[in-house]
Amino acid sequence: MDWTPAPRRPTALRREQNLALVSAVVSGAVIAAGLILLLVARVNPETASGVRTAAADIVAPIWSVARAPIDGAAKLADDIGDYFGAVSRADRLEAELDIANARLRAARAGQRELQQLKRLMAVREPSRTVVATARIAAATTGSVARTAMLAVGQGDGVTPDMPVIGADGLVGRTLDVGARSARVLLLTDPASRVPVIVERTGQAGLAVGRNLPLLLLSDRVGPEQPLVVGDRIVTSGDGGVYPPGIPVGIVVNPAPDAPKIRPASSPLGGGFVTVERGWIPIPAAAPAGPVFDAPVPVEARTRGAPPPRLREKPAP
Amino acid sequence: MIAPPPPPALLMSSAERRRWLLSTWRYAVPALASIAFLVLMLAPVPVSFPAMPHLALMGVLAWATLQPGLMPPWVAFLIGALADLLFAQPVGVNATLFAVATGLMRMSDRVFGRHGPTFDWALIAAVLLGVALATAPLMALAGQPTEVLPLLWQWATSVLAWPLVARICAAIQRRLAATVPHWRHG
Repeated sequence: MDWTPAPRRPTALRREQNLALVSAVVSGAVIAAGLILLLVARVNPETASGVRTAAADIVAPIWSVARAPIDGAAKLADDIGDYFGAVSRADRLEAELDIANARLRAARAGQRELQQLKRLMAVREPSRTVVATARIAAATTGSVARTAMLAVGQGDGVTPDMPVIGADGLVGRTLDVGARSARVLLLTDPASRVPVIVERTGQAGLAVGRNLPLLLLSDRVGPEQPLVVGDRIVTSGDGGVYPPGIPVGIVVNPAPDAPKIRPASSPLGGGFVTVERGWIPIPAAAPAGPVFDAPVPVEARTRGAPPPRLREKPAP
Repeated sequence: MIAPPPPPALLMSSAERRRWLLSTWRYAVPALASIAFLVLMLAPVPVSFPAMPHLALMGVLAWATLQPGLMPPWVAFLIGALADLLFAQPVGVNATLFAVATGLMRMSDRVFGRHGPTFDWALIAAVLLGVALATAPLMALAGQPTEVLPLLWQWATSVLAWPLVARICAAIQRRLAATVPHWRHG
């Protein structure tokens, strides 16, 4: 017979080819899984929230401990720097203090008047309550999201959507809160929108983050009125999360279509920030179930369905 | 070779079996080193633009060239998913990009073969640029559209930081290879 069977591939070669095929299939499956996860995140952004807070719970305490010696060294360097040039700075500060005292005296009279007027009008104002004070433990400086982590969490009374305020101004708001960590959405994050007013003109607007050093002032009421460089931007209190009057930044580029704001605080510099209760917290209304007489299935109750509101019987 | 294949189980003495079990952590070194880079990226550096180099991705890519067997795309996927969790991005953005980039590095090894460090640097720069440009569409797919321009800062610092990352990974590999356990059997 002149027919010869096809030569078999050597075992090692076959094994290698099979492995390459399997690894290509696995790689494809992994990439497909990633795209599916993205679609899941699009449909329900809260999908991975639990895992995310758990990961932050592990990392935030690590960084809060790891940065302590670095902060100590920075403070030592600051102290040494303070020692030099202390006299000239004291002179300058004394001069500034004189000016500030004069302004304070003038302001005190105005404040008394304002208090009397408010009492006359029976103005009721919510008060600001500090929930926790902490250093920024970690931050995402290499990502499209600009968030920071605090090493305080639910145990300290922190909940999502609380304003985070630094010594110089607004820092952001809490996003995900774990047992020992809280994630802060910084002002510079592209998802951050802060209701603000221009202090000089009283125009309302939104301070929008762009993942860049400067914020954008958008949706300004009365855009035909020009801004000037140095206009102070403060929170307006609209929306109820941020208390009014917190410095957000200063206008550095008053372009009429897209004015730019330099943020007042640089939160990652090592200072402490305070987490406050929301200015006008959303009232915690008890979830009201549907109105009907039928019993609620036990499966629905174990999954957190509110109890039914039974229909009231007409009075005889 | 930082983790040798084990001797046949039947031929292992009990002491060897113990040594083998105690040396299995070596398989995880590439992944653990990349996760350490990831945690390092969370340092609170006071800069207001995304200037932190993408150390985690560079670690993954370095290990994909040094130890392709220990950094397959699925391990890169898991490290990328961890990065998504820690960076508060939608889960899947970095995971997909890490897996694709690792696959690209494997393919480039096959296509270009042995090459020098400068070529490596240029190749990594190209892959990192691709990743930076692909981040915006993936974020948009996840429903959070972002601008791509700020990430070019990160690309620039990453390209500058590559020699350092490559050297750290190579140093880890050299140190592990010097202490690799030997099996006497058969």
